[in-house]
Amino acid sequence: MKAIWGKTCLAMLTSAAIGVSASAQAQDECPLPSNLRVVIGSTSTGGDTYQASSIIVDQLAEKLDINAKVDAVGVMGAFRALERDRRGNTIMVFHDGSYLGNLYGVNGYPDIFENYKVGPTFAINPGNAYLVPKDSPYQSMDDIIEAAGNDKKIRVAIQPGGVSELGFSALKNAVRLKHPGKESNIVAVNTGSQADKNQLLFDGAVDVINGSVQANEQYTNLPEDDQKAMRFVWLTSPEETIAQTNEEGMGKTTREQLMQYADVDIPMSADSDESFTFDKEFFFLYNKDMDQAAVDCIDNALADVFEEDEVNEQLKRTFLVPDFKPSTEASEWIQQKNEKYETIIDNLKG
Amino acid sequence: MDILSHLTPMFFGLIAAGTLIGIIFGAIPGMTATMAVAVCLPLTYAFGLENGVALLLGLYVGGISGGMVPAVLLNIPGTPSSICTTFDGYPMAQKGEGERALKTGIVASIFGGLFSAAVLFFFAPVLADFAIKFSNVEKFLIILLALTVIASLCSNLLMGIFSGVLGVWLSLIGTYSIMEGGNGEPRLMFDFMEYYLIDGFSLLPVLIGIFGLTTVLLDAETGFKGDSERGRISLKGGKKFSFGVFKGQLTNLIRSSGIGTFVGMLPGVGGSAASVLAYSQEKNFSRDSSQMGKGAPQGIVSSESSNNALTGGALVPLLSLGIPGDSTTAILIGAFTLQGIQVGPLFIGNNMDTWYLIIIALIIANVLMFGIMYFAIRHIAKVIEVPKYILYPLIIMMCVVGAYAINYGIMFDVWTLLLFGIFGWVAHKIGLETVPLIIGFILGKSAEVYFVKSLESYGNYSIFFTKSPIAVILWVLIAVSLAFAIYLNIRNRRQAAVES
Amino acid sequence: MESQWLSLFDVTIDFDQSHLFFPRIVTWILVILLGLILVTRYRLLVPGLKHAGRVLAGREGEFDRKRFFGTLVLTTLYFYMMGVLSDVFPNTGYSFLICSIVFVFSLSMLYVGQLSRRLVVIIVLNALIAPAIAWYVLAQLFRITLP
Repeated sequence: MKAIWGKTCLAMLTSAAIGVSASAQAQDECPLPSNLRVVIGSTSTGGDTYQASSIIVDQLAEKLDINAKVDAVGVMGAFRALERDRRGNTIMVFHDGSYLGNLYGVNGYPDIFENYKVGPTFAINPGNAYLVPKDSPYQSMDDIIEAAGNDKKIRVAIQPGGVSELGFSALKNAVRLKHPGKESNIVAVNTGSQADKNQLLFDGAVDVINGSVQANEQYTNLPEDDQKAMRFVWLTSPEETIAQTNEEGMGKTTREQLMQYADVDIPMSADSDESFTFDKEFFFLYNKDMDQAAVDCIDNALADVFEEDEVNEQLKRTFLVPDFKPSTEASEWIQQKNEKYETIIDNLKG
Repeated sequence: MDILSHLTPMFFGLIAAGTLIGIIFGAIPGMTATMAVAVCLPLTYAFGLENGVALLLGLYVGGISGGMVPAVLLNIPGTPSSICTTFDGYPMAQKGEGERALKTGIVASIFGGLFSAAVLFFFAPVLADFAIKFSNVEKFLIILLALTVIASLCSNLLMGIFSGVLGVWLSLIGTYSIMEGGNGEPRLMFDFMEYYLIDGFSLLPVLIGIFGLTTVLLDAETGFKGDSERGRISLKGGKKFSFGVFKGQLTNLIRSSGIGTFVGMLPGVGGSAASVLAYSQEKNFSRDSSQMGKGAPQGIVSSESSNNALTGGALVPLLSLGIPGDSTTAILIGAFTLQGIQVGPLFIGNNMDTWYLIIIALIIANVLMFGIMYFAIRHIAKVIEVPKYILYPLIIMMCVVGAYAINYGIMFDVWTLLLFGIFGWVAHKIGLETVPLIIGFILGKSAEVYFVKSLESYGNYSIFFTKSPIAVILWVLIAVSLAFAIYLNIRNRRQAAVES
Repeated sequence: MESQWLSLFDVTIDFDQSHLFFPRIVTWILVILLGLILVTRYRLLVPGLKHAGRVLAGREGEFDRKRFFGTLVLTTLYFYMMGVLSDVFPNTGYSFLICSIVFVFSLSMLYVGQLSRRLVVIIVLNALIAPAIAWYVLAQLFRITLP
């Protein structure tokens, strides 16, 4: 009996192996597997990372004629999965949080430029925003910077160690430049999800929250006497990015209105006029040893995908801005961003 | 009446398919409602918003309801929110009343489901405004209230509380997640464990490890003697189901559904807390709770009505604030964002048609769930007649799928399953109580976040008493709940002493 | 006066150390409870341990060591092999399928009492069909990621 069992097992193994190699041979030039797993650095399937990746991965899979699946395993799970897989069966999608975590020294965040290969960028979420209660005395970021200069404590609800904290750091840095020594008046209130940040604002426990156009726009249309009413004060994306969204903007707020909130001067350093801006960009990350042919293959397929209107419209409909840069270009670009923001974060540490 | 044009056969078909698939997912140990919704989320893109949501709501309602099946028949909760169903469901199944227990659960489920749909429809915006009155302080107190349940569920007070605290302790292993606003630093472990434990232990593998794998180990140890002689559960004998079970249960039904709806409404408190709270309140406040935990239908009524009431409750903040109330609605929100639909305080006003369709879908899903389960239950209940040498290997296999799939493919979660399977066996041997332990584990992380964040904001312990009238009311409830639990515990011990 | 009294309950949590705040409290409660348990039940401890040792060694009580440890060993092997094979067949679920067939078969054989020809057929069919259905439905239809 054991012999039969062993033979069945062997037969299964071989047939499975044949199945794999046969389907892998289907794409001759592309050394990509027929079943590609895309892990994302977020555990949420309702968030922008999942949204952006599923749109792109669907298109990519269609173009390459493979099966691809997005798995919301979260940052650590995704980095681990990527590390283990040298053959390019698993690739990762994440945003600027991947290097910002390292810059902020969050435990467990590796240096992505050293440990992984940065792949193409494909979309920007232009919605990263800061909001105040509708009846707040602060009309603009200038008001907030001035108030901090006049020894008013400004409490800002953020999620620490990532995209959410970056704008906060830039604000703190701006106060440091305009009113040296007063930057400690900008206080972080560390919290988690968007719901928690909103709740702190409803409680009156903070003055400003980090949020997004997508999640918070409806709150800005509530009447002022509603406890939940909010107002945008700042979009971190530059005007050029927001200009690429659909003209209708989001909800009842038009693109033109949104542009006003982006037109904010947040100085970055004493010796230059450059204002701080930040685009939350989504890009691929690969295992360090992934075959260059596979990298090129994804680059080419994505270039083809972005030639067509379909993907651009799909992204824009969900308030994302198409932003394709092939690997080499993307890698340099992300490194540049990394260095730029490192300066701000380091200045504040001192 | 634009809305009628959406009520296509496709719409109804998708609800039916969703409900059926949901029930199956819920009924398989290891697979949950959340997983069913997550798996089908990508499909919704092709269906369009209304049909997509119809499918997902069917899955949600079906999944939560299906969880009672293994809870009653195998003593393994199919979803975390059906833990309390095991307390009375399994003893009833052992007495040969599995079918009766399941039918009681199904009726309670549809009551809870429709109750919460009605609450959602009539009061959503008002309730959402009430829910945002609950800041970190009040949420911590709600969790504390749910933790007092431990005192009323354990058979030995000291061991029960110890087990509960141990559960909380185990849940804290890992990092203080920055996703929750923590600082991302690891604690309660050695450096070499950090690679695996950075995200801590996940709830589902722990739960199915302690309930599923432990059950297998305990039976393996006896060499399956029970399989042929005693202990073999039969379907015959025992009382048959009749609606008479519900005589005098109206208060229980309404109270439990109310608790389920309300706890579902509070983002971050967690769905499983709902049925736990409802169960313990029934135990504390009903006229006769002496049979609860030994196979009393009233326990199933409270557990099942509250966990189905969760569905409507969790949709309240989702649809009127854009904030998901539990882990399943957190995935549901993806169906809206994938279509580029904003959910926020203006959602209902801006999308009246969709809003009505959601309510209709929710009601239909509940009715279909009832129809499917009520008449299929006779066949489903036969599962316990499958010999264990066939059933158990399959249960372990499905637990593996569940553990692996819950975080979309993490092998460590499978090892967690084994670890806690063995731990559950040891706990059983040394007298630790697994139910308080699991409740502590479920609530531990949120307890930490709300406790620490409250203190970070206010800087004084007294805030827990002085924050708001709601806080004071919650303290009164906590005190009453504890007093009842201790009183019942002492009374039961005396009774036991007298009997022996 | 009142404010002085309240200030007794003042607490400041340093964010860098905030990950230890709550775990410390819980650990202390746990230690105290453990102490209480040991104090009230220490008399049961030593005999209990002795009994457990004898049972595990198979010298006392009814303890089916073959099935109990067999379950543990098979489950461990199952999980281990699944991890190994999933590197051989990535993202297809084949590893789950193959390991499950072997595991379900072996565990059934371990658990079953008296073997008859008919039982063997049932067990073999079950071990082949059930994992295949699970794999097909979950990995192929629902596209769930399996090992």
